[in-house]
Amino acid sequence: MKDQRLETRVDTQTIKIEARKAQVYYGTNHAIKDVDVDIMDKTVTAFIGPSGCGKSTFLRCLNRMNDTIPSCRVEGSITLEGESIYDPRVDPVQLRARIGMVFQKPNPFPKSIYDNVAYGPKIHGLTRNKAELDAIVESCLRKAALWNEVKDRLQAPGTGLSGGQQQRLCIARAIATSPEVLLMDEPCSALDPIATAQVEELIDELRSQFSVVIVTHSMQQAARVSQRTAFFHLGNLVEFGETGQIFTNPKDPRTESYISGRIG
Amino acid sequence: MSIGLLSLIILGLAIAGYVIGRRKAVAQVEGDIRKLHSLPPFYGRITALLTAVPAFFLIAAWLLAQPLFLENKALSLINPAELPAGKSAELVMADVRRVAAGLNMLEARGDDVGPLLASPTALKSALNGAGVVLETEPTPSTLAATAALRDAGATSRLAMTGAALLLALAGLAFGLSRINPEYRARNATERFAMWLLMASSLVAVLTTVGIVASLLFESIHFFRLYPASEFFFSTVWKPQFGGGSSLGILPLLWGTLYVSVIALIVAVPIGLMSAIYLAEYASRSTRAWVKPAIEILAGIPTIVYGLFALVTVGPLLRDYFASPLGLGNSSSSVMTAGLVMGIMVIPFVSSLSDDIINAVPQSLRDGSLGLGATPSETIKQVVIPAALPGIVGAVLLAASRAIGETMIVVMGAGAAAKLSLDPFEAMTTVTVKIVSQLTGDTEFASPETLVAFALGLTLFCLTLALNIVALVIVRKYREQYE
Repeated sequence: MKDQRLETRVDTQTIKIEARKAQVYYGTNHAIKDVDVDIMDKTVTAFIGPSGCGKSTFLRCLNRMNDTIPSCRVEGSITLEGESIYDPRVDPVQLRARIGMVFQKPNPFPKSIYDNVAYGPKIHGLTRNKAELDAIVESCLRKAALWNEVKDRLQAPGTGLSGGQQQRLCIARAIATSPEVLLMDEPCSALDPIATAQVEELIDELRSQFSVVIVTHSMQQAARVSQRTAFFHLGNLVEFGETGQIFTNPKDPRTESYISGRIG
Repeated sequence: MSIGLLSLIILGLAIAGYVIGRRKAVAQVEGDIRKLHSLPPFYGRITALLTAVPAFFLIAAWLLAQPLFLENKALSLINPAELPAGKSAELVMADVRRVAAGLNMLEARGDDVGPLLASPTALKSALNGAGVVLETEPTPSTLAATAALRDAGATSRLAMTGAALLLALAGLAFGLSRINPEYRARNATERFAMWLLMASSLVAVLTTVGIVASLLFESIHFFRLYPASEFFFSTVWKPQFGGGSSLGILPLLWGTLYVSVIALIVAVPIGLMSAIYLAEYASRSTRAWVKPAIEILAGIPTIVYGLFALVTVGPLLRDYFASPLGLGNSSSSVMTAGLVMGIMVIPFVSSLSDDIINAVPQSLRDGSLGLGATPSETIKQVVIPAALPGIVGAVLLAASRAIGETMIVVMGAGAAAKLSLDPFEAMTTVTVKIVSQLTGDTEFASPETLVAFALGLTLFCLTLALNIVALVIVRKYREQYE
């Protein structure tokens, strides 16, 4: 296991998502204040911070999942490859196909393993025939390191898998639509250490194809899997930089207190 | 002693048991209640329960069993040779019961009934005066049976009072004898409560068994008088109270299913779609008034729906659909009853489905939306499949309601038993015929009357089968969510 891998390896410097002065309100509650973040392509970016600091809220803004909450309002600019994702011309449904999401609790659909993975390609019409769909399902399950465990029971219900397998199934499902960015909201918080290690390894492999944003409560996890880290506190982005620098040489005293366990 | 007084005495004993039990427990530890296993009220409570509950169970069981024993005894005294022409022993027993009840009433008023028993004429007039009207003067064997019934009744009542009081006192003594500081009164109360709750649930089960048994016995009675093959396979329903009826269930069953199917065709899409709207799209404020508004439909008495069918829907269908299209000119039709019944069962489908759809975890919706599915794709492919077992249950519940419905059919579809495919023709259902067979002026032993029980049993089997299917579907497709 790659433990405490602090050296930085930022492969590309293309900016995928750019947030400038992003504000989020829940009714009158100002949940996110003036957040500026650049999400690089083919990079794992970690959001850390104490509970209720707004990191999940901000993550959900990136693919407009907050649209499902009526009282939520987003201001400022968030762009994906230079185009505002809150532009009225942007279809949030199309946007979410480009920016996939994996949730905190594994949430496989009440369908077979095969249909879970095939769900996205089917609704977006990504395949022309059954053979192509089979190929996508297989390659996604392989990428999610699940293929060998489930290849003999693809028609079994996805809800019958173990927690770690379910979460890897959800990752396979998310990458089946070939998103450009993959958002992960505490993907390992419901998993045991072994399943966590598998998912972390998977995240590292996914980095070669996608830009990954991960919200986590575990600083070790952030240090292990990410190249860039953003520290949120009380709705503010306190510090954002290369993971090695954040963990070894934080500039802000609040960051230092948090990573050394004094606040949070 | 009357039941009321007896109950009061037992309750009094129970209260005494509570007070004494509590005192005794406290006295045994000389007021230091920390030395008791349980708090003092538990010692009182278990004593009171042991006093009252067994005694009340005894009374209930005795009252249920008593008539069976007494009537057998009285029945054996009726001389078959003395039966008037055309009257069975059961009918005479009805007289015996009424005379006995009348005499009890006279006695309760303080009259001396001794001389009346000697003279049938005087007895008849005295009973007439008391509001119990007899057709004929009671025969000697009727009188003998009456006397036996009353004697046995009085003895039994006395025995019951004694036994119940004894049991209560025994319970009280037993409860008090068990009290000592180590006695786990709290746990005993808990166990007692569990048994009490179990007995309550048993009442519902036993009632069902009783209903089925009575249906079954009367149906067997019917099938002795009328061939079962005729009943199940004949396509003619033509009861004649002089005898020689054709009692085929098929036309009635056909009518029942036809009306129910139309009702479900109306109710399932409307109910399901409104449930989806309410659960997935409606804002909280809309939902707050739309849902109760739909549920009001379930509170409308079915006779009002019947009126609606008779006065509004029937003529409307006849004037604007059936007549212009040349499909018939009857205002009572399967269509009328089916449509109105469909409206009646909408709330069953919509309200239950709404609750079930709401119970689907939000994480599944998020998962689907997060993959770029639209809300309607999410509903169609994720939410509805997840909620399907519950929705099927809701639909089958609605079906059971539709099959058992009577009033709307009487007023909307008419009373003519027919086997026809035309939805604009008058037809009738099993339930309607049960009512019409039992509301006649006939004796209770002819096949024309008893057929009602066979119809009821068939209907019961039908709804039971539906419920079992629902259960199997729910079990098979149930998804486990945390």
